[in-house]
Amino acid sequence: MTDCKKLKKDFVAFLCHELDEDKSKLIQSHLDTCPVCKREVARLEELIKGADSLKTDIQEAMEAVNWEELPRKIAENVFRQESSSPRESWLRRLSTFLFQPRLRPIYAGLLLGILVGSLATYFVLRHPHLKEATSAQIVVPANFLERMELETARRETLDYLEKSQYLLLDFVQSPSEKSAEFWQSEFASQKARELLAKKKYINPQLDKYQMAKAKMICDQIEWLFYELSQISVSLSAEEVKKIQKLIEDKQILLKIDLLKRELGKSEV
Amino acid sequence: MIKERLDGNEDIHTLVEKVKKGDREAFMTVTSLYQKKVFLLAFSFFHNKEDALDIVQETFLRLFQKVNSFRKGQNFQNWLLQVAKNLCIDYHRKNYSRSREYDREKPIEEMNLAFQNRGDPYLSSDLSDIFSACLKKLATKQRLIFAMKHYNQLEYQEIAQILGISLGTVKSLHFKAVQNMRGLVAPYLGRQL
Repeated sequence: MTDCKKLKKDFVAFLCHELDEDKSKLIQSHLDTCPVCKREVARLEELIKGADSLKTDIQEAMEAVNWEELPRKIAENVFRQESSSPRESWLRRLSTFLFQPRLRPIYAGLLLGILVGSLATYFVLRHPHLKEATSAQIVVPANFLERMELETARRETLDYLEKSQYLLLDFVQSPSEKSAEFWQSEFASQKARELLAKKKYINPQLDKYQMAKAKMICDQIEWLFYELSQISVSLSAEEVKKIQKLIEDKQILLKIDLLKRELGKSEV
Repeated sequence: MIKERLDGNEDIHTLVEKVKKGDREAFMTVTSLYQKKVFLLAFSFFHNKEDALDIVQETFLRLFQKVNSFRKGQNFQNWLLQVAKNLCIDYHRKNYSRSREYDREKPIEEMNLAFQNRGDPYLSSDLSDIFSACLKKLATKQRLIFAMKHYNQLEYQEIAQILGISLGTVKSLHFKAVQNMRGLVAPYLGRQL
């Protein structure tokens, strides 16, 4: 039974003489002993013979064709078409190769890749500055910058006052005969120049934030340093004393001290 | 003329080389040699002379256009029948849609089944109508294999090359084609095959 099932698939090939010798012998010996399979093969043979009935129609159709004439007709058509369209050049063959339908998915993929890449590049690089600004954006209160500038101005003024105070103290406390030398020294003149420069820097800030009191004292200090640096070369001991007295009378050092405290308290 | 050229040691590869160079005579010789084989395949597929002649014409036109893709060492007949087979499938797709096929063909029920009253039913021309109609109902590959095997007398190996499938697949599809034909033909013969 198992043999029947296994061999059945080869019956058609057996009838068409498509099996090798061993397989054919095996089937033949099986058919000799198995009447069921023998009947099956007989029926298949009958069908195949039946299919041969079409051969009559094919024969009739073939007889109706003029085979001697056909090649000439075909050649005429083919060469007429060829003369109207010259044989394919290598360029045309290359284009045929490149544009063959089976390459379409590859081209579609490439095109899609380029498109997506271009769009991504466009969106990323569209507003580079804007992006930077966005990434660096810090949310602050509206008056934050103003307060920052005011605080800077306050600190700069305090620094100016403190340095000026030290320099003036040195001047006031030095004996009057050595004061001239003091102002002629490189250290003092350098410091005075620095403080004059700093005063120039803080002037606009003092104006902007209406620190009138501070401005007044700073102006006095500025005038004092300017005068001292201008006339220090020819100062006599008496004149030095006079200036020292003026500083004391005007209570410049005290005013500086008070102003420093005031500014220190108004820390932003 | 053809005989002379072939007798003069001109094998098919030499002829094909000449066709590649545009030799009209060589082209005609090749056509003469293979036209019947192509016609046989096309006629057994369509069972229509005009369609088969269209396929023959188109096959040799395609041969002339694509001859450069034929390589030495290939079996020319198989290569040409492969072209013809592809054209048959395309032609069938274009011109024989399901509805059209039914319109064009005579309904099998209306056939004159007079062979049943005759002594030898297989000699009746109507039997060929039945087989032709049943053959058209097979799937394309089974139909091609059946036609190639029974009408073109090709071997399984050649059919496998032409269809680009394995030998085992050809054997299996041929078996299925015969079994299906059996089922289709039996009702019209009034007995089981």
